[in-house]
Amino acid sequence: MGSSSKRKKDKQKDFQKPKLKVGKTKAKPDNYTDTSFKSKSIVLTQQSLHLSAPTSNATFTHNLSLLSAKSDSQRRDSLAYLTTTISSRPVNSPLPQPVSVILPSLLPLILDGTTSVRTQLLKLLRTLPPGDVEDHVAQLLPYVRAGMTHLAADIRSSAVEILSWMVEAAGESTVSCAGGWIKTLNCFLSVLGWHTEESSRWSSSRASFGKPGSQGKPMVKTLGALAMFLDAGIGKPSIGGVDSEMSGDDDESTDWPFPLCQTAQHMISDSSTPFAYLNLFGKPRDEEGEMYETREDRYRVFSTRFQPAIERGIKSAREEGGELGRASSGVSKVLKEAIAYGPGP
Amino acid sequence: MVKRKLGALEKVEADLPNLQHKIRRDPKSYIEDFRAQHYQYESHREIFMAAPSSATDTGVISLRDLIDFISHVADCYPGICKDFPQQLIDMLMQHHLVLETELREKLVGSLVLLKKKDLMDSATLLHTLFPILISTPSKTLRALLFQKILSELRTANSKTTNHKLNRTMQTVLFNLVTSDRTSAKGLWAIKITRELWKRQIWTEAKAVEIMKEAALSQNEKVIIGGVRFFLGGDKEREELEDEDSDEEVNVGQVKHQLTINKKTRKKARVAEKAIKAVRNKERKKGNPAPLNFSALHLLHDPQGFADNMFFKHLQNGKSKLNLEQKLQVLQLVSRLVGLHKLHIMPLYSYFQKFLTPRQPSVTSFLASLAQASHDLVPPDVLEPLVQKIANEFVSEASAGEVATAGLNAIREICARQPLAIDETLLQDLVMYKKSKDKGVMMASKGLLSLYRDVGAQMLKKRDRGKEAAMSLRAGDRQERRYGEQAAGEIEGLELLAKWKDEERRKKNIENGLPSDAEDNEEENDEADWAAWNVEDDEDSDIDGEWINVEDDVEIVLSDSEDEGKPASKKAKQEEEAKKDAEKQAETDKAIDFMKLATTRILTPADLAKLTELRAQAAAEATLPGNKGRVAAPWTSRHTDDPLTAGEIEGLAALSAAKATREERIAHAKEGKTDRSEHMSKEARRKERKEEQGKSTTNKEKARKKNFLMTLGKARSKNKRSLVETRAVLKAHVDRGKRGGRRGNVGQ
Repeated sequence: MGSSSKRKKDKQKDFQKPKLKVGKTKAKPDNYTDTSFKSKSIVLTQQSLHLSAPTSNATFTHNLSLLSAKSDSQRRDSLAYLTTTISSRPVNSPLPQPVSVILPSLLPLILDGTTSVRTQLLKLLRTLPPGDVEDHVAQLLPYVRAGMTHLAADIRSSAVEILSWMVEAAGESTVSCAGGWIKTLNCFLSVLGWHTEESSRWSSSRASFGKPGSQGKPMVKTLGALAMFLDAGIGKPSIGGVDSEMSGDDDESTDWPFPLCQTAQHMISDSSTPFAYLNLFGKPRDEEGEMYETREDRYRVFSTRFQPAIERGIKSAREEGGELGRASSGVSKVLKEAIAYGPGP
Repeated sequence: MVKRKLGALEKVEADLPNLQHKIRRDPKSYIEDFRAQHYQYESHREIFMAAPSSATDTGVISLRDLIDFISHVADCYPGICKDFPQQLIDMLMQHHLVLETELREKLVGSLVLLKKKDLMDSATLLHTLFPILISTPSKTLRALLFQKILSELRTANSKTTNHKLNRTMQTVLFNLVTSDRTSAKGLWAIKITRELWKRQIWTEAKAVEIMKEAALSQNEKVIIGGVRFFLGGDKEREELEDEDSDEEVNVGQVKHQLTINKKTRKKARVAEKAIKAVRNKERKKGNPAPLNFSALHLLHDPQGFADNMFFKHLQNGKSKLNLEQKLQVLQLVSRLVGLHKLHIMPLYSYFQKFLTPRQPSVTSFLASLAQASHDLVPPDVLEPLVQKIANEFVSEASAGEVATAGLNAIREICARQPLAIDETLLQDLVMYKKSKDKGVMMASKGLLSLYRDVGAQMLKKRDRGKEAAMSLRAGDRQERRYGEQAAGEIEGLELLAKWKDEERRKKNIENGLPSDAEDNEEENDEADWAAWNVEDDEDSDIDGEWINVEDDVEIVLSDSEDEGKPASKKAKQEEEAKKDAEKQAETDKAIDFMKLATTRILTPADLAKLTELRAQAAAEATLPGNKGRVAAPWTSRHTDDPLTAGEIEGLAALSAAKATREERIAHAKEGKTDRSEHMSKEARRKERKEEQGKSTTNKEKARKKNFLMTLGKARSKNKRSLVETRAVLKAHVDRGKRGGRRGNVGQ
């Protein structure tokens, strides 16, 4: 209404000019915000200023530490730098850092969310010398398995790629390390969806969850990797080939002069962890996590636990035809050879 | 290239909550996906177990998310997840010291969730959580675990008491307290036991045994925790019970509001809940109240316990307790002594050195001493103490408060053991009733009235008072000797006997028989047995019935002049004869009503009547005419209630210097906390009405009306012609006759 004297007074108050007085500080406006703060201490971040350019070794270490950076482009760039450094080093010269130092920072990147990082990672892994990788397979495998069962299809397929690289580089140790055989095969079955009879049939409307992924034909790639893996695990041992242990016997017996026989058995082993199978320091393993070091063991486990499921899966894949059918023929070929060879000599 | 628009879910690469939601709806179709996630969890666990302390961030999905996901859907795939709980337990048990906090909390939460889904039993859960609770250095984790353990125990006992689980848990706690008496870990046992005791989940002797062991430990915190439990645990329990029953919901109001306010589903739900709660409460009311013994009564071997406490914590020179803690222990010991009538002779000599006015918190010592005395304590043990109190505290020279406290303490001791004081001292102390100091005077009068009751012959003749003197002369009151016990009886039984007698007489008169005839006893009995159940009797609902309070009781003020009038000799003789007869009748009566208890079984109907009669008698006793029979404060106290220092101080406040005006106002206000400010009755009523959302009267509306709005009418009223005024007045009268504007003619 505005007619009462009280309201009039109220209204006038808004337009009254604040009185300024000499010697007094100016009154703060109504909307003044106090931004002052108190701190008990002031921390100066240290700066490292050098006159000389860092050595290549130092940059390598620095880039290695950048692998856990938040931004994905930073990670990718560091990986690229590491790759070029390793690949462009003089032949037969050692790595700037040993693999045991490099690998722990590489491992989490297997599960990285960005595709470019993972492809760059695979490139870096390929440059690593295969001999050095062999000792670290047991560390790599859990990450690879985690990747193979990841919800995101892209991570799954790149993990499968990494696995095929591992089989290429160090097939024997991949299949024989702790948990390497049963658990990895389980992961394969789960990636392919071959675990149960219904889920393996092509007509079953398998409600697959998650994004299909941008790099097509993951099944084809997985089947290829499975073929390689099976070949490494239970394939027919070729003379002087994958299974060096068996073929080595004949060579070594000739290496040593006559009175010494079987001496190689008594020498210090050339593998890094010769007594790993004793599992002296780890916690007790169950059947799945056990090491299956000989082809015989692996074949036994395979024939009891996985053969029916894989055969069923191959059959349905062949029925599906097309590229998948062709890829499945590779697996079935390996399987046939292995079965023909039987549990071994 | 044109960028394709991404759906919200497509953007998220690893959407576990979504998968969880889908699995919940259709577990069978998503078994492959779940299996994949389970393998992934396994691999992550493997990575984690290789290096538990280095918390590596593994890409998009962390172990924490996976654990959360699996524990939420584990009940859909029991076959795949059968090892899952054990794995979580191992992870937590082995690595709880190095785990990152979030993962740790997630593990605890998941374990509780798995228990809720019945994938593990509560004993396993408690056996996992409890050892971590007492060993972890992390405060947040401890708080979380404590809360989880408590809620687990509560839910396990919610439907029926889970005796097995309780027993195992109590054994664990007992072992914790007894295994290492010097460590403070027993505190957790105390905390848990106390909380469960408060909520009436644990009410048995085993829980008390845990506290007993705690009170006998060597760590001060644990000792005090145990002692506090005994001193305050039961009160806490009662308070919680009261609180629970306090929340009154007015169903009528809720229902009424539901008809008026906008109808929403939420409001309907709230109303339903309220009605259900009320119904539950009603049902609970019908149930017999749970018989819960207090912790002090559930103790095995109280003598041994009190002995141990006294010698270990009080008498022992090496005990590290400070004065306050010692006082609490002393309170417990003395309460035990008083309650169970124990004998700890060194206790009384222990008190000796503390009984000086300069001793800090001496009133607590006095209260403890009074508590520790009972009628089986040899008087010659108490006598020197009473003497010392009298010497140290009560003298003309000492301050009023001091003397008051001393006199009150002596009174409290003597109320429990009347033989603890000798005649001369008593007579001396009674003389203080003439003191100028009000507190001292009241305390002394208290002592006097106590001895009029329990030992009038020790008082001087003029102090004995009328009743005591008369009964002394009649010889029906005798000093109770040391160790003498009154015969047990049922309270109010004589009332019942009297009532029965009257009833029988009434019935006999109805039947035309002489009122004293007793030949229909058997018939009566049968009637009694027929009325075995209280519920059958329609009118015996005690809660709702009015207690008959006689309003025509004459208020008789004792006139001292009348008493002093000398009666004639003859009258005196007659009176004496009468008195003898009365006495005879009285003893007969006593035997009579005891017969009622010894020869008959009291039916529930009888007991109900008994409580009713007792209530009636209590109500009558409060009438001014029955002033003399009002129970003295020391008899109305329940034996379970503690005696506090405040009671010993008593009216000491009265003996202090006059309080200032402010103090007096504050003191007066203390009692009336609910009143915010002074207002007239009318104003308060109006406020209450407004609060309840009720409307105002027309008068009030008129009063509140804006002045400017009334102005026009007022002005026009002045300008009305005589005719107009008449018409208005006529209309007003007419309206009044009709009963308002709308009128009630048609009705």
